[in-house]
Amino acid sequence: MAFSVGVVLFGIGLVAIAIRRDLVIKLLALGLTNAGSILCLVAVGDRPDARVPICAVCRDAIYADPLPQALVLSAIVINFAILALALVFVMRLVEQYHSTDSRHIEDLVQRDLDARGGP
Amino acid sequence: MRPRPFHLLAIVCTVCVVLVVLLAFHSVDPETAPHATYVERPVAETGATNRVASVYLNYRLYDSLLEILVFFVAVLGVRFYLGARERPDVPPLAESEVVRTSAALLFPLAVLLGVYLAALGQISPGGGFGAGVIAASGLLLTSIALGIDAIDRRIRRNAIERIERGALLVLLLLMLLPLPLGHPAFTDLLPKGAPGAVLSSGAIPLYNVLIALKVVAGAWLILRSFVRHRGEI
Amino acid sequence: MIARTALLALLPIVAVIALTQRRRLTAIIGMGLFSFLLAVSYLLLHAPDVALTEATIGLGLITAIYVLAIRRTGRLTIVADEAPGLFVREGDRIVGLEHEILARFARHLGLDLSVQFVPHRDVADLVRSGEADVGAGGWVPGEEAGVFATRPHLDTALFTVGGAEGEAGEGVPRVRYEGYFADLDPKSLYTAETPVTLDLARFLAVRRSDVPDGSVTRHPQPRGYAFVVNERRRDLHSALDAYIERLREDGELDRLTRRFLA
Repeated sequence: MAFSVGVVLFGIGLVAIAIRRDLVIKLLALGLTNAGSILCLVAVGDRPDARVPICAVCRDAIYADPLPQALVLSAIVINFAILALALVFVMRLVEQYHSTDSRHIEDLVQRDLDARGGP
Repeated sequence: MRPRPFHLLAIVCTVCVVLVVLLAFHSVDPETAPHATYVERPVAETGATNRVASVYLNYRLYDSLLEILVFFVAVLGVRFYLGARERPDVPPLAESEVVRTSAALLFPLAVLLGVYLAALGQISPGGGFGAGVIAASGLLLTSIALGIDAIDRRIRRNAIERIERGALLVLLLLMLLPLPLGHPAFTDLLPKGAPGAVLSSGAIPLYNVLIALKVVAGAWLILRSFVRHRGEI
Repeated sequence: MIARTALLALLPIVAVIALTQRRRLTAIIGMGLFSFLLAVSYLLLHAPDVALTEATIGLGLITAIYVLAIRRTGRLTIVADEAPGLFVREGDRIVGLEHEILARFARHLGLDLSVQFVPHRDVADLVRSGEADVGAGGWVPGEEAGVFATRPHLDTALFTVGGAEGEAGEGVPRVRYEGYFADLDPKSLYTAETPVTLDLARFLAVRRSDVPDGSVTRHPQPRGYAFVVNERRRDLHSALDAYIERLREDGELDRLTRRFLA
């Protein structure tokens, strides 16, 4: 169930990136795709009747898999790094073109290129 | 937004991808993969009762190293691009006295929580990353409470940069030195100790504290740049 | 585990609601709520380390930097569409009579000026909802609710182009066209089915000599360009009015008008 929700979240994020025109919302959707993928990974490590993998002496019980959890820790931090840097680039873009509408920015870029006579 | 043909295409493609992945996942037998490696061995080998910490600070140490480097590059990038447009006088971020007072009260809690998570990462959930971020959020709270100028005066940027680079340097040395010497990564710098004790698990607490220092400095530099930025978004 | 299933099922709903918001701030807060629910889900999936890291980074840091990025403290936020002579984008900079007035006003208040280009029809809505402080860009006051207009700083007239003969719209004519001014195509404007109403500055920019007769209607009442302010911001409204009045008395307004609209 959690894995399916993760895939659905990834899909929602992907559609939102394509459809919404506002750049900030696009970035939020990018973070959503990352959250969906991470949820998938954590869900893979979870088992029915599992327990948290922290124990001094582990009895014969089923524990959640700690490996995907550890890998996902790195993924969360890297997600933050990507979003911070992308937000900085969006801010620079908005300073240049005074708009957060991606389609309008494309038009303005095209206009600038035409005015300059080529890239 | 006016509906455009591209929107329909995007939705259709995404739905196809989602369905394919779900079908693939559910058509495979969920075998309970043998995880004895990461559940039973770690206490004997590393002394850490938190299995996740033993994975990302012992078995997969170099993944954490690369992740720290990615974080470092992000800090560099944010400071480089936002540094040019810093404004010297920033209006207070919160106008109400209530917010300012409660922010000041929460700061020692945040620092305490950060220290606790970093030092005890090997026996309870937490770890260096969460600790560093919580402490940096505490610093953001004080900048809301006292104003960014007051914080910048007390916590000079040079000191923060030195902490960040120093922690990163020590981490790099600790993690990379053993390689040319043909030695596996340093995991026995500190005694392994009894499982469940605070002073245990070899070098894991040391790594946790170094990572926490690096992250708190880096995250504070990022937050500071955003607070000072005079941009136009 | 009923709680876990319910929480997991709630996640996509919250995500969709957060991402379909019109205001950016609401979307950011919505995604912050989503991060929180996600962190609790990780707890229910027996991953406390991941839950803690997600809560601190996703909910704390990421929401904080987004809110810091779009915060409007210390800035005067203007929304406008391009209008020749009044508000024009030239490369990196913006020039024009209205931009100059507002830039000086912002400096006078000690605020940064932040300009966002938006389609003309959204200007009043954005000011009314409080997302922007001042609306500009060749805006002509009509009978909009919820907003105040300053005293007009320049005279203008309205022209309706295209549409069926005599179809000049009901009620008080307002500047009306779809999208951004730069996207209007002068060639198809006069033969379009939907009428487009333009102010003088824009009309002069799209004027052509070979137009079919009767496709241009000039509205007789004299109008004026003004700025739009939210009706609850009386202090801002009166400050702006006073500032423009001072410019008018100094003769500075005339000098600027001649400089930008010669």
